[in-house]
Amino acid sequence: MNMAKRLLAYSLPYWRWLILAFAMITFTALSINFLPVLIQRITDQCLMNADAPADERIELLMRLSVIYISIAGIGHLVRYFQAMLTAWIGQKIIYDLRLEVFRKVLRMHQAYFDRTAVGTLMTRVTSDIERLQHFVTEGVVGSIADLFMLFGIMGYMIYISPWLSLAIFSTLPLLFAFMFYVNTKLRDANRDIRDRQSRLNAFLQESLTGMTTIQLFNREASAMEDFDERHTKLRSAYFDEVRWFSLYFPTVEGGQALAVLLILAVGGMMLLQGSEAITLGIFVAFLAYIRDFFRPLGSLSDKAGSFQIAMASIERVFALLDAEEEVQDPAQTEAPDRIAGTIAFNKVWFAYNNDNWVIKDLSFSVEPGQVLAVVGATGAGKSTIINLIGRFYDVQQGAVTIDGIDVRQFNKHDLRGRLGYVFQDPFIFTGSVADNIALQTPGISRAEVIHAAKTVNAHNFIEAMPEGYDTVLNERGEGLSLGQKQLLVMARALAQNPELLFVLDEATASVDTATEVLIQDALAKLMANRTSIVIAHRLSTIRHADRILVMRHGELVDQGTHNELMAHDGYYRQLYDLLQHSPEQK
Amino acid sequence: MLVAVGINLYLPYLMRLVIDGLTEHSLDQAALVRLLATYLGLGVVSVVFSRLLRKIPLKLSHKIEYELRADVFEHLTGLDQEYFRGERTGDLMTRMSSDVNLVRDAIGQGLLQGIRTVAVLVLASIVMALTEPSLALLVVALYLPMVGIFFLILRVMRVRQKDLQEHVSEVSNFSQESFSGIRCIKGFALERRRNAQFEELNSGLIKKTMMMQASRQSLWPFMAFWFCLGMILILNLGGRKIIAGELTLGTLTQFIQYLLYMQWPLLALSWTTSLMQRGKVSWDRIREILDREPKIKHRTSNVEPDEFRSQNMEPQNVEVDGRSPSEFDIPCSTFCGSTSSSIEFHNVGLTIDGREFLHNVFLEIPAGTTLGITGPTGSGKTLLVSLVARLMDATNGAVKVGGTDVRDLPLGQLRGMIGFAAQEPVLFSRTLEHNIGFGVVKPDKDLIGWAAEVAHLRSDVESFPEQYQTMLGERGVTLSGGQRQRTAISRAIARRPGILILDDVLSAVDTQTEAAIMEKLQPVMNERTTLFVSHRISTLHYADEIIVIEDGRITQRGSHAELIRQPGYYAELNTMQQLEEKLEEGS
Repeated sequence: MNMAKRLLAYSLPYWRWLILAFAMITFTALSINFLPVLIQRITDQCLMNADAPADERIELLMRLSVIYISIAGIGHLVRYFQAMLTAWIGQKIIYDLRLEVFRKVLRMHQAYFDRTAVGTLMTRVTSDIERLQHFVTEGVVGSIADLFMLFGIMGYMIYISPWLSLAIFSTLPLLFAFMFYVNTKLRDANRDIRDRQSRLNAFLQESLTGMTTIQLFNREASAMEDFDERHTKLRSAYFDEVRWFSLYFPTVEGGQALAVLLILAVGGMMLLQGSEAITLGIFVAFLAYIRDFFRPLGSLSDKAGSFQIAMASIERVFALLDAEEEVQDPAQTEAPDRIAGTIAFNKVWFAYNNDNWVIKDLSFSVEPGQVLAVVGATGAGKSTIINLIGRFYDVQQGAVTIDGIDVRQFNKHDLRGRLGYVFQDPFIFTGSVADNIALQTPGISRAEVIHAAKTVNAHNFIEAMPEGYDTVLNERGEGLSLGQKQLLVMARALAQNPELLFVLDEATASVDTATEVLIQDALAKLMANRTSIVIAHRLSTIRHADRILVMRHGELVDQGTHNELMAHDGYYRQLYDLLQHSPEQK
Repeated sequence: MLVAVGINLYLPYLMRLVIDGLTEHSLDQAALVRLLATYLGLGVVSVVFSRLLRKIPLKLSHKIEYELRADVFEHLTGLDQEYFRGERTGDLMTRMSSDVNLVRDAIGQGLLQGIRTVAVLVLASIVMALTEPSLALLVVALYLPMVGIFFLILRVMRVRQKDLQEHVSEVSNFSQESFSGIRCIKGFALERRRNAQFEELNSGLIKKTMMMQASRQSLWPFMAFWFCLGMILILNLGGRKIIAGELTLGTLTQFIQYLLYMQWPLLALSWTTSLMQRGKVSWDRIREILDREPKIKHRTSNVEPDEFRSQNMEPQNVEVDGRSPSEFDIPCSTFCGSTSSSIEFHNVGLTIDGREFLHNVFLEIPAGTTLGITGPTGSGKTLLVSLVARLMDATNGAVKVGGTDVRDLPLGQLRGMIGFAAQEPVLFSRTLEHNIGFGVVKPDKDLIGWAAEVAHLRSDVESFPEQYQTMLGERGVTLSGGQRQRTAISRAIARRPGILILDDVLSAVDTQTEAAIMEKLQPVMNERTTLFVSHRISTLHYADEIIVIEDGRITQRGSHAELIRQPGYYAELNTMQQLEEKLEEGS
């Protein structure tokens, strides 16, 4: 229950509004449920009161009618505003919570994202949060409103006829239990439907994306079989739902019919025995009450079970909010005005998980303005070096320093603001080309954007796009070739950070030769006069480096210039020979 | 249906008899019990009918939904690549899920509510008119405007709901982008800007939600109030008649019950109409898929493709480990039917949307030879190889396999002959084994192992705890680009096809691995007709013949040795790649 308490804490800022909402609920319950009492009066005092003169009866009828319609009007108007107010409070609470979750996610360290699928995070900010909203507005406030309505009705019923009320109330526990049961089954069926629908959708998504592959390999028939299997499961879940759904309303109808029967039976017997405790007006009023009775009852029985589902969502959302941020800012941060650009690794040990060391006792340093190339086979720990400088991960032992200051002494935000990145897979944001280069950084003018694009040879293809720099790109950067995306990303890096230091990931794979020449040229310009680290897969890039680090299984095996390394006749030479190995020698 | 409605209309009449009997003291205990027993009996029957009335049409609608969705999917499996390029997957998904659901609801609810409403309206009107015409008129006068207003509110609500829905998907797109681009966001320290944007988007969400709620929340209070209005008018009008002695209280109660009973079917009327309208729109969208004729079909229909499917894909006599890969290979003719695997392009041209992508392509690739294809990005290399597998059809000239126009070959037979691996392959979220043996009907372990070995995938597989049973995709391991490409190569060769097409499948593989793969792949290629696209001279070198495609035209052709002597793209490519190497070597 602590979870619910914590969730309710989010409603504290709006407690005044909540009190207003409850006041309105009370008012509605009292006013609307008073209406059948008026009907009873009309029946007994006007319609059935044969003793009084007709004029008086009609006059009273008119007066009571006006009172009736006024109360009904005001009651329902208040009810409308109360519903709006409740919805608004719910929205505000969810707004606060959703922002908190989103901010938390953006603050999480990179390792968290390695472990957590984007789809899972999406579920947290969308459907989980929506369920919470449902819980707050429909669940908590809604249940209270339902209860008030129910108590209002019951109170008035007892007020006009205790005996008849007792007869009807006696059926309640059984009826509620049955409705609760049907609702539970319905919810189960719905959950099955959702599960199976999403399984079918996942299959569909993949099949549609890979339809060409399916066709090329003549797998249409087996895809159809797989589809049928999931599809039939979905249908049987739907049939389940129909079974229980088709019970729900008949149950309510049956319950109502039973209540009417009870009124007719008990009331009729009492009247026949000449009891004074009951009048025809009471009869008519009760018929009106039982109609209103079943709505809050049904919705309560529904909510009682749906709390569990909401609890699961609440738990997941709070678990996310409580997740530990492993890469944190120190209390006191260093923020030098300018960074000269000396990067040093001092006996660094690092593992992505447990004792699986990716970097072992690594020490090296890069002087300001130098270009450092890192070479090694896949998995040698090359890109980890860059991850550690930008504090995407923190080292387990040793230290990474910039100008002698441990990177952990920096504010992450400030630190990364000084670094520029070109990643292997270029990420394009939804938005214009210019926005993708400037990234809405204040102070980057259109002229600077164009200058950056020109410098990295991206200007020409951007100009050729339908609306030039204002062409809107979607997330995938559809319509751009991989090479163009890479140039765009380089323009971004250049525009962002001409100031200090540039860390770079070798990013030239599967691009045609002409574009590759453009990219190589752009790279050279990017690295000019900037402390740079290049993760190199190709010998042509290594050529630009002032110094080369040779990595093997997380260890530094050699370093120096290309010539020095070749002279050493060690691992570098082997790597080099492998790279050189081509069929021409055969 | 009529029975259920009839009973529901009869019950208030019983109520009236009881009340009137009590008012006039004409009812004794036994008569009361009789009336109530009838009430109870009819009530039970009514509940049973009410359930069947819901169950039957709803179940029917789910059966229709099932058939419809299955039809759409089956139709989609026959559509061509061009279609899938033009349509967004998300859009197709919407049609297969929510559109099909809307059609189902239109049928199920439309059937259920539609019939019920009509039955209730007709019967209730008759009964009411017979009982007390003036009150009947009042009920009708009340309900007509209510249904109208309800319909209007519903419409406004739907427009706002759509508006809200769009905003909601904007918010979720923004989150999705933020999470998948997290490295970039962190790298450029964009968190604060993203947060601010997200905040703004969410403020809009509140506004749009409240707009929607303003119309939605008004529905219930409005209806309830209107009912109160009806109630008091009936009491007032009827009351005067009772006072005047023209009407009994029982009849009045009976009317109030009718008022109640008619409320829902009438409101459902406006709801059902809009449901039907939406169902129609969705149906049209689904029809668009079903009406689309597959562009790629075989012209002569005298051969049943299924026959070939089963023949082609059955692996035969796969040998066990310990032999050289080439020994595994059964010559193509034993399982490719009578069709030889020579390929011919005769004056092939390809024009899509008025743009010419391939022009005057003449090619002859004898069975068992290897053709290397190179050229700048976007010059038409992928399109050229796509024509062989009939992912699209040439708009000019003809592509022939084994001397037969590919359009005259049954698709199943043609594709059964081909092993195709693409640069950005699609793998499925199944086991690795399933993916490698994807194109084979009953793959066995040896075949899988051999295919993995040739594509240099075996050591990668052995590093996975579950080996070939490793699940790929979100719930399993995520393969690197190179691993994906190598899996695609395994998948293609596991079919042991007569024609092997490799479309730049080594681009994400480093040079050493590439060399190792080519070495193992070469004997496999030698046994078949192979087309491969590559940018690397070191790979192209293996081909019997190499063509250079520039701007949709073949500009150079010949062996490696011939081409490096000719001035042109190939020689330039060669010099450039050599220069790169020399620059390293020199100094």
